[in-house]
Amino acid sequence: MDLGRVQADEVELRYFSYLFLFCWVPANAALPLADGLTAEEFGLAIFQEADRRDAGYIDLQVDLEMILRNSRGTESRRLLRIKQFEKPDDGDKLLIVFETPKSLKGSALLSFSHRVEPDDQWLYLPAVKRVKRIASRNKSGPFLSSEFAFEDLTLQEVEKFTYRFLRKEIFDDRECFVVQRKAVDKYSGYSKQIVWLDTAEFRIQKIEYFDRREGLLKTLEVRGYTQYDGRYWKADRMLMVNHQTRKSTELVWRDYRFATGLSEERDFSTNSLRRVR
Amino acid sequence: MKRGFGIFILLGAAVGYTATPAADVESTASLVFGSFSSPENAANWAARVSLLLNTPIEVESLRNAQGVWYRVVTTAASETTLNAVRRAADSHKLTYWRLTRLPGSPDVVAETLPGKSKPPPPGPVRHAPPVRAREPEPIAHEPGKDAADTNSQLDFDLGLQTRTYRVEGFNGQSRFQPSLSAQLDYYRTWDKERQSLTFAPYIRYDAEDSERSHFDVRELFWSQVGNDWDLHVGVRQVFWGVTEFHHLVDILNQTDLVENIDGEDKLGQPMVHLSLVRDWGILDIFALPGFRERTFPGQDGRLRTVPMVDGDHPIYESGARNTRVDGAIRWSHNLGPFEFGIYHFTGTSREPQLVPWGLTSGEIVLRPRYPVIDQTGLEALAVLGDWALKLEVITRSGFGARYAAFNVGFEKTLVGVMGTRTDLGLVAEYMFDDRDDEAFNTVFEHDLAFGTRWSMNDIADTQALLGVVWDVKTEEYFFSMEASRRLGETWTLLLEGRVFGGADEPDSNAPLQSLFDADNKTASLQRDDFIQLELTKYF
Repeated sequence: MDLGRVQADEVELRYFSYLFLFCWVPANAALPLADGLTAEEFGLAIFQEADRRDAGYIDLQVDLEMILRNSRGTESRRLLRIKQFEKPDDGDKLLIVFETPKSLKGSALLSFSHRVEPDDQWLYLPAVKRVKRIASRNKSGPFLSSEFAFEDLTLQEVEKFTYRFLRKEIFDDRECFVVQRKAVDKYSGYSKQIVWLDTAEFRIQKIEYFDRREGLLKTLEVRGYTQYDGRYWKADRMLMVNHQTRKSTELVWRDYRFATGLSEERDFSTNSLRRVR
Repeated sequence: MKRGFGIFILLGAAVGYTATPAADVESTASLVFGSFSSPENAANWAARVSLLLNTPIEVESLRNAQGVWYRVVTTAASETTLNAVRRAADSHKLTYWRLTRLPGSPDVVAETLPGKSKPPPPGPVRHAPPVRAREPEPIAHEPGKDAADTNSQLDFDLGLQTRTYRVEGFNGQSRFQPSLSAQLDYYRTWDKERQSLTFAPYIRYDAEDSERSHFDVRELFWSQVGNDWDLHVGVRQVFWGVTEFHHLVDILNQTDLVENIDGEDKLGQPMVHLSLVRDWGILDIFALPGFRERTFPGQDGRLRTVPMVDGDHPIYESGARNTRVDGAIRWSHNLGPFEFGIYHFTGTSREPQLVPWGLTSGEIVLRPRYPVIDQTGLEALAVLGDWALKLEVITRSGFGARYAAFNVGFEKTLVGVMGTRTDLGLVAEYMFDDRDDEAFNTVFEHDLAFGTRWSMNDIADTQALLGVVWDVKTEEYFFSMEASRRLGETWTLLLEGRVFGGADEPDSNAPLQSLFDADNKTASLQRDDFIQLELTKYF
């Protein structure tokens, strides 16, 4: 049953050795860090640990409400249902189904994420019953008209970034690792991201996104982490503010369910796209 | 299980920490940061506590009536060290309690076990047992448990459409054509979402064209979903194809031509459809009992042939007429950036030949003739960066001599054009039919098409499609435009327009002649340029 834990076991030695190296990181560490671990290696280790802690749930289902606000405060809401399937040997599989607005009901997006190669993506258009393959190389565009880009929401495999540990600092009463990451993909819309992860649970608390001209573009703040099944920390609110347009998008996550018995063939094929509701 | 635990202890021992001052007396007390039934969870937590407090933390096992527990606890240390650890834990807002061991029986302590509501154990306890210390529940979800046993959805939309034409029709048809439509969509699922029923009836009332006023069951079917197969029985719609301008390989459903001339509206087709999902792709097998006749605009309708088609009096090649059971089999697969589908269809052609017919009144009409055909089709798509390369090919027998036709093209997506949020899709396609001028059932025999798709990515989901198709040989062309946006959460506005050109209008003295003039196939559409506005309300 507990696949994730068995796999975690096999790599435990490596992770634990990194973990213990954390002990020596003083607040303003001079780089390279102690024991020959460079800021890059340490940044990577932090994200590997965060990834490890977030792995092993096999599959999950969750409902998502997106609240889009423009600078005048006009609001638009979308309701989505999300199914995700963990693939330990590759990227995960993701199915997003539209509930509202009603004009888009039944539209769906299927994405097979890969560690290095571009993701495979299909869109289902219910009005014409058509499954359409999408060229997905450039993921810097808005996701469903929100302030989130595709690349902010698609599954963030550790291998898709390079990292650099910057410092430890208190953010929102929590001690956090502050790590800079850069997308390996040259089509990323960002020059860099700065990520705050709390040192207690390795949960992302905040991300600052910098545009290609190195200007601060957006800030994401993550709130309301709840622990599920005694293991996975999932946030129920995410707020993305675009500093350049003053538009914002709030994500409200509801009803997380883990290990619900989804099947890769039954729930994540182009066939399943055609029958989603 | 044992291994992870062992590794922790090993590493725990190796952790450097400030040496206990020799003079300090070793305490019999320690700080407990939680207890777990899983050694890995305990090891995880111990590692984190150790990391935060910069002090060695152990996991020790203890047995009680509930079984074996793993306690996350400080290693033996002096009171001074322990106090330092306490201060560090306070500053990190960690919860803990102090455990004082009774000599000789280290496991027999008054520990508050997780899940119990006993008061905290003796000793100076700061907080209630740590939240973290709650033993994780085993994963409580049974497969499929979350799927409600039955679930039903009912959706409904109403549309008001007006078409305004540039001029009157060739036979004096009206310039203004308003209509109303309604679509219902009922869906019910049961058996843990393994079975479902779908019912989607559609109706349009057209104030001008009685043939365009029609009712159709778009879908009415039952589905059963297995682990690697789907079975669907009933009236359904199935689309095949990859290109944008002309849907060449799409064949199972009859076109609902009165709805729109773009061929994207389809009539429901009765079928039994078995789909097998395998490592080597998806295999679809269809039995198609019953034939649906194409809809054609009536005498007062626009966007029709001159003379008009009498859709009510079709000619069938098959003796079974519209009750013949047709069949199709298709294999499709995707390999990373490549995907393809290949099929064979045998049965009555959805696409008719148009046969001139003299009525006793002396009037001439066209009767649709539906031959029995065999058609093999291939669709393929490759994604290369921002480019999608597309191909559709068919070969068909039964329409005179066997012939072949293809569509080939690409679509390129530009994200955030000119520094805006707008995405721009560029589409270019070429359509070819090897019968050339003898291809009277299609207008796409040597045509080039170019299109742009604009997605504004705004709150109202504003989108626009602009396209032009140009016959490189006859120089006939048409422009098309579609733009849509939402108005609030439950309304949408759709604007559509088409302009036809490059052909002569039918000769009123010899309309049939222009119908069979290969350079003038779009003659009957030349007066039908129109703008359409459609307002839809979703319930």
